[in-house]
Amino acid sequence: MLQQDFTIINKLGLHARAAALFVRTAMRFSSCIELQKGQQRVDAKSIMNVMLLAAGKGTQIQLRIKGEDEIEAMCVLGELIQSGFGEDE
Amino acid sequence: MSFTLHGIGVSRGIAIGPVHILRPQVEINEYRIEAEQLPAEIQRYRNALEQAREELRKIRDQIPLIYPARDNTGEVDSGVSATAVEIASFIDPHMLMLDDAMLTQIPIEIMKEKHCNAEWALQQQHIRFTELFEAMDNEYLQARKHDIQQVIERIQRRLLRTQQPPEEEPLDAREFPEGCIVLADDLTPADTAMMPHRGVKAFVTEHGGMNSHTAIIARSLGIPAIVGLRSARRYLRRGDTLVVDGLRGAIVCNPDVRSLRYFKILQTEQKRRRGELSRLREAPAVTCDGQLITLYANIEFPTDMQAVKRTGANGIGLYRTEFLHMNRDDRGQPDEEEHYEAYVHVLRAVDGPVTIRTLDLGADKQVDGGASRIGAVPANPALGLRGVRLCLKDLSLFKPQLRAILRASSVGPVRMMLPMVTSIQEIHQVRQLVREVQRELSAEKQAFDPDMPIGAMIEVPSIAICSDLFIPYVDFFSIGTNDLIQYTLAIDRVDDSVGYLYEPLHPAVLRLLNTVIGQSLNAQKVVSMCGEMAGDGRYVRLLLGMGLRYFSVNPETLLEVKHIIRHSDLSKLHPLTQRILHSQDTSETEALLAQINAL
Repeated sequence: MLQQDFTIINKLGLHARAAALFVRTAMRFSSCIELQKGQQRVDAKSIMNVMLLAAGKGTQIQLRIKGEDEIEAMCVLGELIQSGFGEDE
Repeated sequence: MSFTLHGIGVSRGIAIGPVHILRPQVEINEYRIEAEQLPAEIQRYRNALEQAREELRKIRDQIPLIYPARDNTGEVDSGVSATAVEIASFIDPHMLMLDDAMLTQIPIEIMKEKHCNAEWALQQQHIRFTELFEAMDNEYLQARKHDIQQVIERIQRRLLRTQQPPEEEPLDAREFPEGCIVLADDLTPADTAMMPHRGVKAFVTEHGGMNSHTAIIARSLGIPAIVGLRSARRYLRRGDTLVVDGLRGAIVCNPDVRSLRYFKILQTEQKRRRGELSRLREAPAVTCDGQLITLYANIEFPTDMQAVKRTGANGIGLYRTEFLHMNRDDRGQPDEEEHYEAYVHVLRAVDGPVTIRTLDLGADKQVDGGASRIGAVPANPALGLRGVRLCLKDLSLFKPQLRAILRASSVGPVRMMLPMVTSIQEIHQVRQLVREVQRELSAEKQAFDPDMPIGAMIEVPSIAICSDLFIPYVDFFSIGTNDLIQYTLAIDRVDDSVGYLYEPLHPAVLRLLNTVIGQSLNAQKVVSMCGEMAGDGRYVRLLLGMGLRYFSVNPETLLEVKHIIRHSDLSKLHPLTQRILHSQDTSETEALLAQINAL
């Protein structure tokens, strides 16, 4: 089990397209992946849940990953969040 | 993200404003599902989900075909065209939602728990989502509820389709934000007609063609419009800023600062051009070689008279009266007084004759209560009970109008025009009715003009081919080119898949026009043209060359037509007109037309 904290840096936050990209990426891993914001913890492979987190710019979130490929998953997903989901702003 | 979409520009002008998207409202009802029926109901829900996924997959697969990686759309679009990848990125979230347990599992649990139907269960889940999103404090993320709404509506539509045939939802009684641009699947003429009254600046539809009634109304209202912009609602969201360029048939969504500046300049430029033309208001429509041409205006509503006054028209060559039957809610059919007041209003507002066209209901002009009165909509409405046929069949519809027209003829010069005439018999029948009404009015001591001219529209090949036979029985002809082209070339005006075949320059059309104009001139019968072709600047010189001397056009194009007339020399038009009439293919005709317009 791995956990790491991140800050959402892109202007629009985890909006629909960013959430979709995040979820698609999470789905590539067999590990159980969860996102936590405050007290709210959701399945990171469910786009509805990820969108309902309402993680705007500046939000602190925690990524919690448990499973065989947890190390690679944390690396890839962490990179995605830190790159602002590849968006310009 | 800014991007450009292309459709068919049907009414020019530039409008800039927020988009207002119309979707047919789906009504969801709850009903009980017994335990033994539950598995079937759950399966129905799963099927709907799968169909919705299939729809999205198809759309996603089409994107690279619709938006190939190129940019040849000119300066306006450079740098603002979307790539297929970008557009696809809007669809992916929806596809993921359709696989999400919140939509694949929870509604099924609700169905099991409450023994309710799939639509209702999904609706409950929708309400929950909406509440959760509305509780968010981030405005942008909150607005993502529309994504979920779109996905849920997509499933609902699939569910309802397995239950009952999709029904047309009436749109007419809706409110629009001031200054918005309406985007809809399609609009009925009734919807279209009401738009400027509700502060709509422009509209865009996914269906329809250049000559659908909707398009024509937009032109006569002078509001920019684009039709046939397939799938536009998939890419646009409520509140997006849209530029509608009605001339080029393009919309730009969320333009960047430079594009916006460009369109604002273009908008000003077009206004300036209109200002120049407006100086022609008082000038006579006379050719260089001194031939006076009569220029009438086409109108739809009494309120159109404001636009007519700005043009200095010689009269009204086409007063459509269908508006009296539109948007009536539960007021029933208009009575004689309503007709009469509408006619008198126009008569008092214009110098010159007013040509009132009797009701032309049916075909693409279905109006409120129309279907229930006429019966089920036939498979081929354009060939069915419409125009004068319907009037002669339903005297309760026709007679109040006849009485009102005759009474109005005592107020000013009125001409009565019959739509969709195909046989001489129809003219005899109408004249018989007119005599009856005249006797009634005389008995009631009401005033009317016993010599009020009665004319026929030439919209069907049968009357065009043998117009000489009709001449003794009519006082004038007026050519309606839109229907004439539709019937001659067998092209449904509202079917955009055959819109490319709609060709005013087809030799068959030109021969018919030349026949009618020639025969009328020989018999010294007044012949005018009130169809779209008369108001299209490209055809004005050709029509003058054929001998047309009466044009009736939309107020917004009238001054442009006048401008062309004033720069035309009839004595020079004859040779090229003859060559066009003998031209064998449309591309040759186009070339000759360019020559005649360059004279």
